Amino acid sequence: MQKAVASLDRPPHSTGAPDVVDDAAVRAGLTVHLGRTFRRAVAIEGFSRKSSGFSWITYSFVARPVSGPTRKLVLRVGPPNGLFAPYSVMPQVLALQSLTGTRVPVPGLVSFDQGGAEIGFPFFVCEHVEGEVPAPWAGSELDEGHRRDIATQFIAILAELHKLDWREQSLASLHGDGREREEVRAISVWRRSLARPTARYYPLLDWGGRWLAENCPQPPRRTIVHGDYRIGNFLERERKITAILDWELTHLGDPHEDLAWALMPTFNARSRKLYGVVEREEVIELYQRASGISISARSLAFYEAFALYQAAAIQMCAVRAFEVDRFNDMRMAVMASQMPSIVRAFERALEAVA
Amino acid sequence: MSASFERLIDGMVEALQAHVLPGSHDDFARGQIFSVIFALNGLKLAADWKTGPLLEQIRLQDDAFAAVRRLADGMSHPPLPVTRLTGGIVDAATVESLRDEGDRKLGELLLWATGEDARTADRSAASEIEMMLRRLICDQLKVELATTPKLMLQQIAGERVASGAN
Repeated sequence: MQKAVASLDRPPHSTGAPDVVDDAAVRAGLTVHLGRTFRRAVAIEGFSRKSSGFSWITYSFVARPVSGPTRKLVLRVGPPNGLFAPYSVMPQVLALQSLTGTRVPVPGLVSFDQGGAEIGFPFFVCEHVEGEVPAPWAGSELDEGHRRDIATQFIAILAELHKLDWREQSLASLHGDGREREEVRAISVWRRSLARPTARYYPLLDWGGRWLAENCPQPPRRTIVHGDYRIGNFLERERKITAILDWELTHLGDPHEDLAWALMPTFNARSRKLYGVVEREEVIELYQRASGISISARSLAFYEAFALYQAAAIQMCAVRAFEVDRFNDMRMAVMASQMPSIVRAFERALEAVA
Repeated sequence: MSASFERLIDGMVEALQAHVLPGSHDDFARGQIFSVIFALNGLKLAADWKTGPLLEQIRLQDDAFAAVRRLADGMSHPPLPVTRLTGGIVDAATVESLRDEGDRKLGELLLWATGEDARTADRSAASEIEMMLRRLICDQLKVELATTPKLMLQQIAGERVASGAN
């Protein structure tokens, strides 16, 4: 893999980023960027937008340099009107840099630019990995044996991630200034997000956020946390997970957080079993055996409550985008309608922890 | 008209104009889209939220404030609103605004009841207030859930399994 090219030392784009991501402009900027990165002219072919999501925009393309091999690559752009804007590429960049060559499969990083000099927005380029992304709710279309194979790999990879010593990785730069515990800091991020003014205010979220911060358990070990580890955030091919994706929320914290998030029924076709096939007890047993980390029932319950709190905060980002920032994407308006059920589930989850 | 109702209608109209119309090249389908836009603009002029569920939520909030007044007897607590439902309120925007103000007050009371000052003053009463507030807030959420249709998550997300999309 080519060494990643850091561009953080350059000043941000001085003319200001355009409001809407224009695919043709992105392609033109990418051509310039890759020419500079590879130090030779590069033609871009098959450039196409892959995602219609709420956050990072994904493009796939083939880079054909005037000399040297053709490469299938992926570009990810943080749009100015995404749900979590303004974006930083750094968590994803640091994750890909740190995890390449480990037992956690990730796409190789090619280059990145937080300032977005040529494209106008923060972006990074990585290698294309063959595989398919299973939709969390489409699990039943695959046979049980297939899903079980994937689910057990999914647990084993999580264990590998949590076993890594982050102090020896570039991810160590995510370590805070020590004023707040890492896992409490993860809660604070969402509390700040929820504190932003919107039309609706949910008293249980305000109170529950404070409760989570005040009652956050000590982690058994401070580890790298993916932050969005779930069915649907990896590529699989021929019953093998080929890459773990979407590292934008990665941080240091309590490993229970990833486990609780992965077990949310929302990501498992409404089932309490992982991928609809592996019972929770078995998930915990497999994870403990592979990671050497003891799972505490209370910590898991705490992070299940936190998962719902985080889900509510994400929905509120959509509410805010629709109502305050006036993005006319009706999917965001629909997300707002889910708030009552999430908040009620959160209250029940807190009851279970207490 | 309530701001959230107006915003929802505007969002639907804009989404159809900006995202659906440009991709629709069938004359019949375009006629349907324009007709829906026309109907939505009509709703914006003539309709608003049903006040029934909003009034029910306000009644629950007022019950909560009355219960706090009773349970916190002698304790120093945040100011409580007087019963806000009078016979004359019919405008949905006013009712929605009252509901939202009530939610903020409930949050203030819940944070107070679970805070150090209230616990020190009367731990037992503070706990009782906390549990009562949580229960009534959940009852309020149930009113909202009753007016929420089942989510079409799979269809909204696009239904297909993506490939090679790292």
